[in-house]
Amino acid sequence: MSNKTHGASTDILLDIRGLKTYFHLDEGTVRAVDGVDFTVPRGTTIGIVGESGCGKSVTAFSILQLVEKPGRIEEGSIVLNTGGQNRVDIAALDHDSEELRQIRGKDIGMIFQEPMTSLSMMYTVGFQMTEAIRLHMDVEKDEARDRAIEMLQAVGIPRPEQRFDAYPFELSGGMRQRVMIAMALSCDPMLLIADEPTTALDVTTQAQILELMQQLQEEFGMAIMLITHDLGVVAEMCSEVVVMYLGEVVEQADVDTIFHNPQHPYTQALLESIPRLGHSHEGRLNPILGSVPDPYHRPSGCPFHPRCTQIITGRCETVHPDISRLDPRHTVRCLLHEESHG
Amino acid sequence: MIQYILHRVLLMIPTVFGISILCFGIIQLPPGDFLTFYVAELSAQGESVPEAQIAQLERQYGLGRPWYVQYFLWMKNIITKGDFGRSFTWNKPVSDLIWDRIAFTMLITLLTVVFVWIVALFIGKYAATHQYSLGDYIATFFGFIGLAVPNFLLALLLLYYSLKLFGLSPAGLFSPEYQDAPWSVGKWIDLLAHLWIPIVILGTAGTAGAIRILRANLLDELHKPYVITARAKGVPERTLIWRYPVRVALNPFISTVGWTLPELVSGSIIVSVVLNLPTTGPLLLGALLQQDMFLAGSFILLVSILTVIGTLISDVLLAWLDPRIRFS
Amino acid sequence: MTATPRAATPSALPPVETPESQEDMRLLVAGQWQLMWWRFRKHKVAMVATAVSLLIYFVAIFAEFLAPLPRDHYAADYTFAPPQRIKLILEDEFGNREFHPHVLGYTVEIEAAALRRVFKPDPEQVIELGFFVDGLEEYRVLGIFPSRKHFFGPKDPTQPFYLFGADKLGQDLYSRLIFGTRISMTIGLVGVALSLIFGILLGGVSGLFGGTVDNIIQRTIEFFRAVPSIPLWMGLSAALPDDWDAIKRYFAITVILSILGWTGLARVVRGRFLSLREEDFVMSARLDGVAELGIILRYMLPSFLSHIIASVTLSIPGMILAETSLSFLGLGLRPPVVSWGVLLKDAQRVQVLATAPWLLIAAVPVIVSVLALNYVGDGLRDAADPYSR
Repeated sequence: MSNKTHGASTDILLDIRGLKTYFHLDEGTVRAVDGVDFTVPRGTTIGIVGESGCGKSVTAFSILQLVEKPGRIEEGSIVLNTGGQNRVDIAALDHDSEELRQIRGKDIGMIFQEPMTSLSMMYTVGFQMTEAIRLHMDVEKDEARDRAIEMLQAVGIPRPEQRFDAYPFELSGGMRQRVMIAMALSCDPMLLIADEPTTALDVTTQAQILELMQQLQEEFGMAIMLITHDLGVVAEMCSEVVVMYLGEVVEQADVDTIFHNPQHPYTQALLESIPRLGHSHEGRLNPILGSVPDPYHRPSGCPFHPRCTQIITGRCETVHPDISRLDPRHTVRCLLHEESHG
Repeated sequence: MIQYILHRVLLMIPTVFGISILCFGIIQLPPGDFLTFYVAELSAQGESVPEAQIAQLERQYGLGRPWYVQYFLWMKNIITKGDFGRSFTWNKPVSDLIWDRIAFTMLITLLTVVFVWIVALFIGKYAATHQYSLGDYIATFFGFIGLAVPNFLLALLLLYYSLKLFGLSPAGLFSPEYQDAPWSVGKWIDLLAHLWIPIVILGTAGTAGAIRILRANLLDELHKPYVITARAKGVPERTLIWRYPVRVALNPFISTVGWTLPELVSGSIIVSVVLNLPTTGPLLLGALLQQDMFLAGSFILLVSILTVIGTLISDVLLAWLDPRIRFS
Repeated sequence: MTATPRAATPSALPPVETPESQEDMRLLVAGQWQLMWWRFRKHKVAMVATAVSLLIYFVAIFAEFLAPLPRDHYAADYTFAPPQRIKLILEDEFGNREFHPHVLGYTVEIEAAALRRVFKPDPEQVIELGFFVDGLEEYRVLGIFPSRKHFFGPKDPTQPFYLFGADKLGQDLYSRLIFGTRISMTIGLVGVALSLIFGILLGGVSGLFGGTVDNIIQRTIEFFRAVPSIPLWMGLSAALPDDWDAIKRYFAITVILSILGWTGLARVVRGRFLSLREEDFVMSARLDGVAELGIILRYMLPSFLSHIIASVTLSIPGMILAETSLSFLGLGLRPPVVSWGVLLKDAQRVQVLATAPWLLIAAVPVIVSVLALNYVGDGLRDAADPYSR
């Protein structure tokens, strides 16, 4: 566990290229993730933001091949670099293969939106934690127990020895999310995927959980992929941001660029729609016009054009923009920039 | 937990009381009482009953006194002496006749419950994890057939075909050579060799229902977040399904025993009549047709009470299996 | 932040129009029965099952017309006569083949060893069949209009015609099955109607008042559900006096079946009552000052009527099976009343089954009707929630 190199931020842990995850329903195909590219550098926190239905959760689920039928990864690669020349394309693995199971829970841990239902009510916290530990680490029952208690302690659960034998329904929502984090980190993963980890919690608990995640990152050094619709959380936690709209990445940049120099009209609109200190738009917020289109009827051309305030009439309705690289770590998918960069 | 069991046992008392009233009602419903029948029967054969014996029986069962006195005496005799009254057709105490029969009924019912559970568990799990596959459709279709075909019809069909194809009747629980033999290893094996037929016939309807329930519950559970959590931990798919969603889906499944058991007992009575099994069925039917009401009433009483106890045990089992109930 | 004036680009915001918006409108204005029907119609199996069920009830209503023979007609000469096969083409002595539906009569031999009569088809005896033929006796259609016509049968009603064979009295099983349909199918309806009255009354009271009343009724329901049904039914029907006539017995049996049948319906009614009480539209009606009875009749009843109909349909098969079981045991209906269970009783003994396996045919309508009604009920239950999915 100690041979990991938490190297420079340029060292890429996860490289996602051309990922497409579709849902084949009776009513038609929903292209939930439609050609997503981004990278996760080692040891950093990357935020994935967007409105509901933009495909951010499906992207996260695709990384561990957790998308269920009728969903399917259609194309693309998800290359995990576990150090040195150890590269594995997760998207190419069989969904019930030993290799994939060794990545799930060991190299990549995951926590979910609903701490109330993400743990089974039938087994103790201890059972569910040691299950993961014993699957991935060559330890005896006692050692697994010690490790679990150690982790419970690390996530700030009081009296961990007693909590070890408790059932999840005996814990509060915040405590359960702590247990989830302890479980996800128990095998010392290189990446923690957190799918809206604080959405279902009350505000004070939210702050505690986020703080805990930051503190644990310092302690364990893993990368965090934080999926959220809350830009405030992004500003606080992330060093890099991926903005998604209708299954596509529309902009990716470091957090300062996103907040101070956003280039995509959607990112701009998102930022205008949230209250921010020091930016008083005459006391009014500007919500984004319209709503996310019906998934079965994607707009042609740029998917954002029906809601865009800077539309180039005659072009945006027909031309699907490519990615433009504005500088080494700032990309944007918009015709406005394709024009200016040739 | 102990408090829960106590609570359930206390709730059972009014039920048992109600059953006893109901059964006493059934005994009392036909005109006349068993003594009149008994005397009429004997005098028809040219025998007479000594006055003293009549008087003694009258006193013992409170005949001619108000119904609640009779009920009280009936219950008192059952509880203190295990005396359920007399069967006039057999001219024997009821208690001499029923225990063997009740034991066989319970044996068959219990084995059927086990059969239903095991079969339904595997088929239901398969149908749910392979939703809309050919196997799922077949399971669903058989589910409907199983519900629509009364099990005495299955028994009749079985009788007919075994008669037509093998020229023998599969009726009874023992081969002729073991019929009256004392219990031995051979007799047990012979019993088991005969027992599977009524079990399969009886279990069909219950299995069909149980598959439907398990499939529906499991389909609800299969996509719950805790299943995804377990998958994200790297738990192998096979282990995962059994350990997580099946474990939860099992609860409503076990609690269905509450109604499966009464149904199985009901079914076993008719099937036993058709297959001529030495269980409650044929004797109860005979008693009812002859209006031998003490015998019939006692059978109904015991079968019902044992069913209620069985339901209680299943509820306690369920509570013990489900930590949410166990700890509340 | 780029502050593009929104008013400047109104053309960039075309109204979001989807092809379904017209259908959506239709959905929004449709009444609940309309919605239920639309959903039910999609359920193909349930539609077929409905057609089958309606056909069976049609048979029950017009039994006299559809059955070739009167219900109790018997012929000692044809005890256990096997089923005849309908032949469509008749060949005359010159080899001319002509369309002429017919069956063949029987020759009877006595098997000396078993002392048993053996029936063989007799090519010499051609019994011509026809539609709308005159029958043996006059009957009344729907109990009103006198008629002698039968849907189809032998042109000469005195000739033997046993499509499904004969029973131990030489009665035509086919005709009796048709007459049995009437009893078996109506006993389900009458029994369910009785159960429904009990169920709605007690379930409604339970759901409406709650508290102690609810508790007592709930315990009573639990009590009845804990008791095995068949022994209880057996006990109660065995206690019916022997000298009661057919009609009295028929109603007594339905009452006995309803004693256990109401519990399921009462549960449904109570459950719906309890959940509806909390609904916003009930609350808003109450705030508008609608009287309690008005709320129940105008607002709550319509919205759970569909569920009740579905539950009622689903409980008919249980009644049919129960009557069949009881009559099969000889504790339910008795001859001369004919029900499917009464007919199956003849097949109870193995020896009889060996000589006349066709007696088992009475099982077919039982299975078909129970399956059909189950599918109809399933479809109704799915359709009763128009807003689900």
